[in-house]
Amino acid sequence: MAETTYIDAIRRALGEEMDRDAAVFLMGQDIAAFGGAFRASKGLFEKHGRLRVINTPLMESGAIGAALGAALVGKRPVLEMQFADFVSCGFNQIVNNVAKTYYRWEAPVPMVIRLPFGGGAGAGPFHSQSPEAWFAHTPGLCVVAPSTPRDALGMLKAAIRDPNPVIYLEHRFLYRREKEDLPEGDLLTPLGRAHVAREGRDVTILSWSWTLHESLAAAEELAKEGVSVEVIDLRTLSPLDEETIFASVRKTSKVLIVHEATITAGFGAELAARVADQCFEWLDGPVRRVAYADRPSPYNKKLELSLLPGRERITAALRKLARY
Amino acid sequence: MAAAKRSKPPPPNNPVPVATDPRVLRRAHFLMRLSRAWDARFEAMARVGRIGRWYSAVGNECTTVGTALALGANDAISTVHRDLGAVLTTYLDPTRLAPALFEDGDATPWDALRPSPQSLLDQLASQVFGRRGGFTRGVDRSFHYGLVRPDWGIRHVGMISHLGSMIPVAAGLALANLQDGNDRAVLGFIGEGATSQGDFHEALNLAGVMKLPLILVVENNRYAFSTPLSEQFACEKLSDRAPGYGIAGETIDGLDFDAVHAAMNRAVARARAGEGATLLECMLPRMRGHAEGDGSYELIPPAEREAYLRQDPLVRFEASLIERGHADVERIREVTEIARGIIEDAVERALLTEEPALTEATRPVFAPGEVATAFARQSTEVTGG
Repeated sequence: MAETTYIDAIRRALGEEMDRDAAVFLMGQDIAAFGGAFRASKGLFEKHGRLRVINTPLMESGAIGAALGAALVGKRPVLEMQFADFVSCGFNQIVNNVAKTYYRWEAPVPMVIRLPFGGGAGAGPFHSQSPEAWFAHTPGLCVVAPSTPRDALGMLKAAIRDPNPVIYLEHRFLYRREKEDLPEGDLLTPLGRAHVAREGRDVTILSWSWTLHESLAAAEELAKEGVSVEVIDLRTLSPLDEETIFASVRKTSKVLIVHEATITAGFGAELAARVADQCFEWLDGPVRRVAYADRPSPYNKKLELSLLPGRERITAALRKLARY
Repeated sequence: MAAAKRSKPPPPNNPVPVATDPRVLRRAHFLMRLSRAWDARFEAMARVGRIGRWYSAVGNECTTVGTALALGANDAISTVHRDLGAVLTTYLDPTRLAPALFEDGDATPWDALRPSPQSLLDQLASQVFGRRGGFTRGVDRSFHYGLVRPDWGIRHVGMISHLGSMIPVAAGLALANLQDGNDRAVLGFIGEGATSQGDFHEALNLAGVMKLPLILVVENNRYAFSTPLSEQFACEKLSDRAPGYGIAGETIDGLDFDAVHAAMNRAVARARAGEGATLLECMLPRMRGHAEGDGSYELIPPAEREAYLRQDPLVRFEASLIERGHADVERIREVTEIARGIIEDAVERALLTEEPALTEATRPVFAPGEVATAFARQSTEVTGG
């Protein structure tokens, strides 16, 4: 057992999968000797060389297209977008080329695109976004967002082994703040399975990534007030583990959806729709959302904090919901 | 607009001696005639509304066949919509498809790997009609598919409609070769229009930096839909961009089989030797519109159109075969007739095949595995809710 941070877990997953399968290779900007902007690939270039830890020129679209080409002839590329915000430059390759290939001609596209995302660092409008809904809307993409080092490790390994394109959202704020003792061995987390992070009876929170931790803190607060909150860590957004979600909602009859992305047409809207459709008879209150205001992320940290859906806002929303 | 500024083909900057192997010429002639017969058949159907749309490759055959013939088994190709000649060249063993036209020793070792040429032709025809037997079984059109069968020596990745997007994919096919340490080459096709897109730049820059074994053939037919060269780019030749990427570049007369084949052989040799990528601009006549009947052909000034029609690469190739004693008029007629008969049969058979099962519309978007299983469990599957 060794204490592993979230970013260590990602590095471990990359290293273990590269050792296990010679078809796995990494592509991205500044990822070779430098180890990447967040050092996710530190040390892997020295071990695996320039053809398996590839420093690309400053490119997103072309790198994703090239990864697709390599994947079609048996490689398993893992791409790093330096920041999730930059994936917009590769959007067409992802939604039109990568995502549609299997449906069109049944060629598997084993590919992982890692997106360091999220706010909390005062990094401004172009280094703070949460773009999961862009991709969850596109058929043919698996979208995951682990919240713990254990799942960061297990889901990245599972994503690399899956024969499909996986958008892997890793939260920058969690990189060095989340730590866990992880055992040795081949630790996998199944894709498409949510996790009950905290059991409760009165209200269900549906969340993922950084806001999952804020939700757990809020649940702890409500427990002091006698409200028992169940917190579901979705882990995989698409495809969605409805079984776990609906079972929780049918138990508690109240749902709060919490995400960091902006609220309008965010993934919470999809969750609310499915819950309304499949759990209508069990609901005792409105399906509520706590999310980012419909604004870009401001640079000044105080301004940003005022918009981030943190524990205070979640706690307030839970109190209101519990009264129904 | 100085539309006529670049309307004449530049002189080939690489005159080559005529010494092409007669076995290659026999194969090339048959494949070009096959491609032309296919287009003739589908153009006729487009005219009477039997198919919705047809993008003709008439005028491109010399370039598509002349380049693809320089490849070997498991070299890869990436094609767009006027590259039927390259597809046929990659897929088919002509010596089995038209044995009457070939001699002992014409078959290559690759031919022995290839499957029945008839079955692939039938599949291709069904694909174009959107039928059950096509490569996509009705979910995508014409050349929007790939066929990756290393056991057949075939690695073909077809297009999406965002044409420039395929250039990085071709670069990725080449990257895989580099990683595997083999000497295989990749041939990517693109029109001159898509060279204005960002993916062209990103892919060729990567190819330059990594010395990828990639040959990008630009089929410059002077109009992108209706846009003439003068509104597409301001450089004199597209191959002038190659030094900017640190790769080799040539502009050649795409109507001259010997020039095309020789330039491609040089590019393949560079790729196999680890000397990196080549941008090969082939100047072609605009002999058809963007798609049949879409009005774009009529936009070309009549005198220019007539000049292009007189440049028919197939007519020129056949004249050179006769001139050099590789064929006589009777042989030309025989090849043309046999090719036409083969295409006619394939089309007739495909027209008799069934429509795809409706379940194809809702077939999986994920390859089998835990993601595919999780997708199928959702309440939104597959009615949309």
